[in-house]
Amino acid sequence: MTEVILFIIVGGIAITAAVMMLLSENAVHSALFLIVNFACVAFLYLMLDAPFLAMMQIAVYAGAIMVLFLFVIMLLGAEKLTEPTKQFRWLAPLALALSAAFLLIAGVAITSGQIDLSSPNERPPMLRIVHAAPYAGPVDVYANGELLASNVTAGKSTDFHALAAGDTEIALNIAGTSTAAVTTTVSLPGDNTKQANGFTAIAYGGDASTPPQVALVQDNLETVPVRTARVSIFNGYPEAINLVDFGSETDPSDDKIIVGDIQPGATVELPPVNQDTSLRAWAFTIVNSAAENLSDLNVLASLNNPDVFTIKRDSAELMVVGAEQLLDGTLRAAVIPLVNDAVASFGGPSSIAQLLFTRYLLPFQLIAVLLLAAMVGAIVLTHKESFVPRRRDVRRKVAKPLTSAITDQVGHDVLTPDDRTPKLPEKQPEPSGD
Amino acid sequence: MVQTEAFVMLSAVLFILGAMGVLLRRNAILLFMSVELMLNAANLALVAFAKQWNQAEGHLFVFFVMAVAAAEVAIGLALIVAIFRTKQSINIDEMHKMEG
Repeated sequence: MTEVILFIIVGGIAITAAVMMLLSENAVHSALFLIVNFACVAFLYLMLDAPFLAMMQIAVYAGAIMVLFLFVIMLLGAEKLTEPTKQFRWLAPLALALSAAFLLIAGVAITSGQIDLSSPNERPPMLRIVHAAPYAGPVDVYANGELLASNVTAGKSTDFHALAAGDTEIALNIAGTSTAAVTTTVSLPGDNTKQANGFTAIAYGGDASTPPQVALVQDNLETVPVRTARVSIFNGYPEAINLVDFGSETDPSDDKIIVGDIQPGATVELPPVNQDTSLRAWAFTIVNSAAENLSDLNVLASLNNPDVFTIKRDSAELMVVGAEQLLDGTLRAAVIPLVNDAVASFGGPSSIAQLLFTRYLLPFQLIAVLLLAAMVGAIVLTHKESFVPRRRDVRRKVAKPLTSAITDQVGHDVLTPDDRTPKLPEKQPEPSGD
Repeated sequence: MVQTEAFVMLSAVLFILGAMGVLLRRNAILLFMSVELMLNAANLALVAFAKQWNQAEGHLFVFFVMAVAAAEVAIGLALIVAIFRTKQSINIDEMHKMEG
């Protein structure tokens, strides 16, 4: 209800500002009303989950573009240059009639539900398959009869594959053969509410005689709080397990159970884990209610290798606790970390940047070239051409060459035919006095 | 929760106000401002539909429209300055002849 009231107020201000922009006589007032309108639209962007665009609206439109407008208005002194002319007098009623007609048609179309808003398109489910069954050996993974990955060894995972929504048959064949180690059918729903729709099918358990089971876990790849990661744990070990933080090695009092008693086949999601959290002291243990101290618990697998087990910020990590077979036939727990980037928050800068630098890189470059061309064009157009001819070195033009003027005065030609340099006639030797 | 229809309707109203500005005002600078208003209305509709269908592509288009609008304003205002210099007027009714 608050949102509706805000929408009505802000939308009303936006429309009023637009009308005032049209009606005001002074162009500077029009520009200021347009800034008010842009600010209202930026507020509406915030209501529509587009914070990045709201900031762009303020910075680019209300800031850069409108400052340019104001500069030009004041540069030209064009505040009041709108005296109505006698021509095109028929335009005003025609424009009003056309606008009213368009508003009527658009209004009827929008309000009568002729615009289909009810069917948001569904995101196809993405499926990956994790092989955590110790006795099965390497397998080829098929979904609906299509090969997704071949020769997947125990402890490995396939990539995410987009599949059609609905029932999907997953078959794990023993590598290179058509013998199915396990075949199962899972139901993958499409989703229209979330940014990512990921599923993980985990083959776990089983022994030499019984085939492994397949569990389907829906991955939560949604946005995580800043500088945290989401950690989920799937227990594919035959017994119930604890996740224990042993703290410092010497101090038994700081041991604590992070998640206790995870049943086989169960998935547990931890609260958001800070990106700086060290997993060095974390370990999976068996559940033993008789143990007095946590340090007495039998450790199945420790997460002390920082190259493998780290908390990556903005990621959604699924740790699959599986089992692996040792040479003597006994089982040992093995942890498979599956780290995925969480989806960037809708409308935030990172989600726009992800699209901009992957799928829309070429349009982005084209826009950059366009802006460059516009910059050059603006400079060329406003460059003041000098219509006054530039002051040149004007030579005095003489009707007759200078040499002929000299010729007239001295009485004979000063240019000899073979030598083009003008010379004065040789001086006659004066008669001597003696 | 405001319905998408409300945003689209507001966007249509703003678009029409911009179109009326283009048709009725004779000042070339105001004409450009009205075009900006129309572009903004289209942007608002794009963002509303992006929210409705939960797709970030709509936001990306708004981003591109903003860049194109910036380029258009730069060129348009440069043209207005150039025309004002030769004609001493930016009334678009006086520009309908293709003379110097």
